[in-house]
Amino acid sequence: MIKSRHTTIAIIAVIIFGFVLFYIGTDGFRAFTAESARTYDIMQEKPAFPSVTLEDSKERTYTFDEFADGRYVFVTFMYTSCTTVCPQLEMNMASVYNQIPDEYIGEDIVFLSISFDPERDDPATLKKYRGYFDSDGETWRMARINNKKELQSLLDELGVIVIPNDNGDFTHNSAFYLIDKSGHLQQVMDYTLVDEAASKVNDILAAQGDDNG
Amino acid sequence: MKQSFYGLLLFIFLILPPVAAIMESVMIVHMHMQMTLLVISGLLMGRFFQLKFPGFFRKWNANGIPGILLFMIIWSYWMVPRAMDEAITLQMVEWFKFASLPFLAGVPLRDSWKKIGAAGQKLVFGFFVAMFSFMAWLYIGADSQLCNNYLEVEQKTLGWGSLFIGVLLLVYVIQLFFIDTSEYE
Repeated sequence: MIKSRHTTIAIIAVIIFGFVLFYIGTDGFRAFTAESARTYDIMQEKPAFPSVTLEDSKERTYTFDEFADGRYVFVTFMYTSCTTVCPQLEMNMASVYNQIPDEYIGEDIVFLSISFDPERDDPATLKKYRGYFDSDGETWRMARINNKKELQSLLDELGVIVIPNDNGDFTHNSAFYLIDKSGHLQQVMDYTLVDEAASKVNDILAAQGDDNG
Repeated sequence: MKQSFYGLLLFIFLILPPVAAIMESVMIVHMHMQMTLLVISGLLMGRFFQLKFPGFFRKWNANGIPGILLFMIIWSYWMVPRAMDEAITLQMVEWFKFASLPFLAGVPLRDSWKKIGAAGQKLVFGFFVAMFSFMAWLYIGADSQLCNNYLEVEQKTLGWGSLFIGVLLLVYVIQLFFIDTSEYE
């Protein structure tokens, strides 16, 4: 009798321990992969977009803040030699771009594709790549960050993990990032769910219109 | 006691930083070799704890169920992709891995295995067959990278490895139903 009571207590203790372990380990059953944990953390933190200097496909250089100029910025990370995820990512980005009403484009929101492979992605390469996705080079720009330190701090801040592999390619996580008007990260969105991302961005843009009165 | 000593040696070897770093650089080695060996080191060291604290095990693990539950919970936890990732990126999680797999999974498994009896053992095998099948489905089928520290191809390898282990376990369990091992003892 006493034995079985102890056993019952032990079983309950073990189950509670397991529950707590999984609860803490997955942010309350929300994040089972490091990627979802990262997205969750980042949405809570809303880090500021670090100050970086961009060089775009038209060989212009400016800082991110100069480009954003108080507008929303829709950001993706890619490299042009990528044959797997990046074309899909940029294609989907183009599709989001096309779903945003013209009145907002350039006024309230701009698009930016940032290359994390500055050695190969010079302005000429970016210019060619830009053409594949009908990016106009103004309201949707493709740019590289030449300063290695700035690039790394940006990737770290937004939790973009880039692993070079043996073939000169990179394995990297991908997402749509929306930076708000104050330069803070507002949304991290699944890049495979284009319509969802577009409607989310449209909602945000419409809401800020209401706020302005 | 000799086996406990070997278990301790194995444990120390596994947590040496260079050894750990090499094993963790390959996803399937990290999960199916390092983690398994850590449990085995605990299994071996378990004898020491059984001899040292017989009362504790008799009192709290009389029928083996608490121990086997603890073992299954700890093992399942380390199958979560995020746990594996964080073991690499966060030092704290790495230490927890080194502590939990031998002492919270290996030791209780040692103490519980005989106590839960043949039926209980079959249930545990069933659980693991289901779990490895799920892992295979998850890691082979996932289109995206589940672990940020590993390439997608490694993830697929891990999936096939899990499937292989799952099938082996299943074969073992099936033969248990048809072959009466007591005839050979």
